[in-house]
Amino acid sequence: MEIRIQGVSKHYFSEGKTIKALDNVDLTIPAKQIFTLLGPSGCGKTTLLRCIVGLETPDSGEIRIGDEVVWSKEKNISVPTEKRALAMVFQTYAIWPHMNVFDNVAYPLQVRKLPGEVIRRMVEKTLRFVRLEGFEKRPATKLSGGQQQRVALARALVAEPKVILFDEPLSNLDAKLREETRKELRTFLGELKITAVYVTHDRIEALVLSDTIAIMRAGQIIEVGSPKKIYFDADTRFVADFIGRANLVKATVLAHDGDHTTVGSGLGTIACQRRDIPIGSEATLCIRPEFLRFARGEAAGGKNILNGRVESLVFIGEAYEGEIRVGTERLLAKIDPDANLKEGDLVSFSVDPAHCLLVPV
Amino acid sequence: MVQTRSKLTYSLILVVGALTLCPVVMLILGSFSKGLTAFGSFTLDKYVQAYTDPAFFEVIVNTTVFVLGSSTLATGLALFLAYLNNRTDIPFKFMFGVISIIPMMIPHLLFSVSWALLLNPSNGILNLVLKQTLSLESAPFNIYSLWGMILVEGLLDLPIAYLIIAPAMASFDVTLEESSRVFGAGTWRTLVRVTLPVLRPAILAAFILSVVRSLASFAVPSVIGMPGRVHVLATYLYDMIAKGFAPDYGKAAAVGMSVLATAVTLIFVYRALTAESEKYVTISSRGFRPAVIELKKARIPLFLVVGLLSFILIVLPVVVLFYTSLVPYSMVPSARAFSLMSWNHHWIEVLEDPASLLSLKNSLFLGVAGATLGVLLSIFVAYVIVKVRTQASGILESLSYLSFSFPGIVIGVGFMWFFVQTPLYATLWALLIGYIAIYLPYGIRPLSSAFVQIHAHLEESSLVCGASPLTTLRRIMVPLLVPGIVSAWILMATMFVRELTLSVVLSRPGTEVLAVQILRFAEDGLWGKLSALGIMMILISTTLVVLATLVGARFKLVEGGG
Repeated sequence: MEIRIQGVSKHYFSEGKTIKALDNVDLTIPAKQIFTLLGPSGCGKTTLLRCIVGLETPDSGEIRIGDEVVWSKEKNISVPTEKRALAMVFQTYAIWPHMNVFDNVAYPLQVRKLPGEVIRRMVEKTLRFVRLEGFEKRPATKLSGGQQQRVALARALVAEPKVILFDEPLSNLDAKLREETRKELRTFLGELKITAVYVTHDRIEALVLSDTIAIMRAGQIIEVGSPKKIYFDADTRFVADFIGRANLVKATVLAHDGDHTTVGSGLGTIACQRRDIPIGSEATLCIRPEFLRFARGEAAGGKNILNGRVESLVFIGEAYEGEIRVGTERLLAKIDPDANLKEGDLVSFSVDPAHCLLVPV
Repeated sequence: MVQTRSKLTYSLILVVGALTLCPVVMLILGSFSKGLTAFGSFTLDKYVQAYTDPAFFEVIVNTTVFVLGSSTLATGLALFLAYLNNRTDIPFKFMFGVISIIPMMIPHLLFSVSWALLLNPSNGILNLVLKQTLSLESAPFNIYSLWGMILVEGLLDLPIAYLIIAPAMASFDVTLEESSRVFGAGTWRTLVRVTLPVLRPAILAAFILSVVRSLASFAVPSVIGMPGRVHVLATYLYDMIAKGFAPDYGKAAAVGMSVLATAVTLIFVYRALTAESEKYVTISSRGFRPAVIELKKARIPLFLVVGLLSFILIVLPVVVLFYTSLVPYSMVPSARAFSLMSWNHHWIEVLEDPASLLSLKNSLFLGVAGATLGVLLSIFVAYVIVKVRTQASGILESLSYLSFSFPGIVIGVGFMWFFVQTPLYATLWALLIGYIAIYLPYGIRPLSSAFVQIHAHLEESSLVCGASPLTTLRRIMVPLLVPGIVSAWILMATMFVRELTLSVVLSRPGTEVLAVQILRFAEDGLWGKLSALGIMMILISTTLVVLATLVGARFKLVEGGG
């Protein structure tokens, strides 16, 4: 079910100051997709989610779920949370400690006054789906973090909602469990073909899980796109920097020819992905550390072939992390673990113009 | 929603403010007035009289020794027990839980009486036994002394000191000690240089709370101090208003002012310290387990010490009272004593004594009605303190904890000045209002921890699931609150059934309560009747506790099943 958000703003007053949690947000969340709101903490992503579900009231704008307007300042419509027929997985899971697993999961169905036999069958089916069969009678407090997370998921799924909302559901798990649960969640959601809105500050989570990512900052949507588009082809410096590690180099546009835009920078002249930025203006050149291709020794100059000196080299297991001094710039590089390099070596490397991204300053 | 909340906050501030500040204001006004009948004509005479009395100096010295001595004893014992429980391999650790909880159920008055029965110089049971077996001329111990008072008060304050120190000890980050060991310090040096300093806020907090409680204590000074003519502030005040032909409430108020000021100051220090100790000692979240010190040879002797302490604190008082209630007069336990045992001596007499029956009835009413009303008020106050969180709710919080510091007898004098001006004087309602005012923090505390436990997400998640706010209240909020409500009710009800310090001031002929009646028996030396009535008091408290627990469990079962 499609969700349309139009002109939604929300202010907080805290210690005499006004904080803009949401600043005139326009957003369309397509149906049957996993849509992620990604951004640093305090960017308004959770506020936006809570406005969709109705736990917070916006100051202005309109929110539409499917064909139904659930909130509108102008039309004076405000559908209460419990009438919006959504489902949500909370950051704290919000598993009710005085109920067992069955009652927690059955709750949305009991509230809808379905017959007991139907409830039992649906709960059983859902628990099997999240691989918790046999846990029905277990008190909710006697579960591990990962199991609680799956109970929360089961409770969200059991009533077969049109839209399911996730508020940083993995942030309370430890690193290893988070990785496993992330994969699991991807499998579950992939099978369901459901509209999911997922809030997170973890970029890997966003990249792994999403069909579409919206990046937020200071109450505004900065950019919307597929994970690959966001990672390789960001429109702004903020997004390029936020979504992954990047070397950001000041550059001046020299020329456009065919597929490439040529810039001058502290690294020398670099050919980049074509971007229509006026010749002579400033831009930021963004190169991700994993796209530096190394050859040993010094090579003759050519297109995007650069020479530098290894300033530091740290072994991190799956790779070396190095800092390469090139001209006046220092670049972060991810180097193959079997590369025969040491600090002080002269190296030459190339960067594919397709991986040289230009963004406005 | 926002409006109703702030309305609620302000009306609660009004109610709680009236309850806690009214007696204080009346005490101040009263101390400057000529007398209960001449309220409003102001004078400084009472202060001059009170503070120039030659007896006053001795009372101050006695009070200081009594308060500091008993607090040191209580804190020292608590520290010792907490360390043994949390940090060593001493056996039967469940005993420590028992030591910290059960003595709170034995009323201070009865605990003091049982020690008087054991160690009074004329016919204390233990004294008689020792005299017989060692063929001594006179009794070896005299409990009716400052030392006796310190011993008994120290034991009484031990559980509360333990309850403050033990959690701090349990959450102590052991890596702090381990790093001290790594840098070459031995066990003893580590204890002195690292462990104790880190625990200092908790230890000081326990000490200060003991000081406040022993300053307010009336049971020990009246049962053990008065027969030995050792007067402290509490009994000095009591003498002014209860003995002689002309009770002087003005002078009592003037003396009470300094007691109140001391107590309130100390409680502020206490709150600052507990905030400090929470900041000081934190546990790292993962795989936390304190290192256990092996006691080796000291294991059994130390265990015996703990065993003896629990025997003294829990078993002894009840056994002594029960024994005394069955034998016709004080006698050493022997075959003859057992053959003479009967319910007829004292139990039947007490049950036929109209004054005792009236006090039973009154206390039962105050316990049940008082606790119910008190918990009702506490639910709203705790909700506002925990969930509303505005500046006004901060004021409410400070107000509601103020009465925690109130010495009952002093506040009783303040209430006296108030109730005399109203038709409530000499009614049970006066006692009920006074009880709730003084013991409100005991209701608020368990309820605010219950509210804290209910994360906003638990409520919101129910709404998202499609449940109406009313269903959410019924199926999520109330069941989660039940344990808090039950423990608040139990705490208040047991406190009210045994209440002594406020009651000795406010109770009048016709509104006697159990503790006051017991005190009368003690003053008249009617130990047998006293013990019978005392055991009945413990039985009533226990019954209320059991009933409340059962009701709570039943309620939870019904709701949890959906």
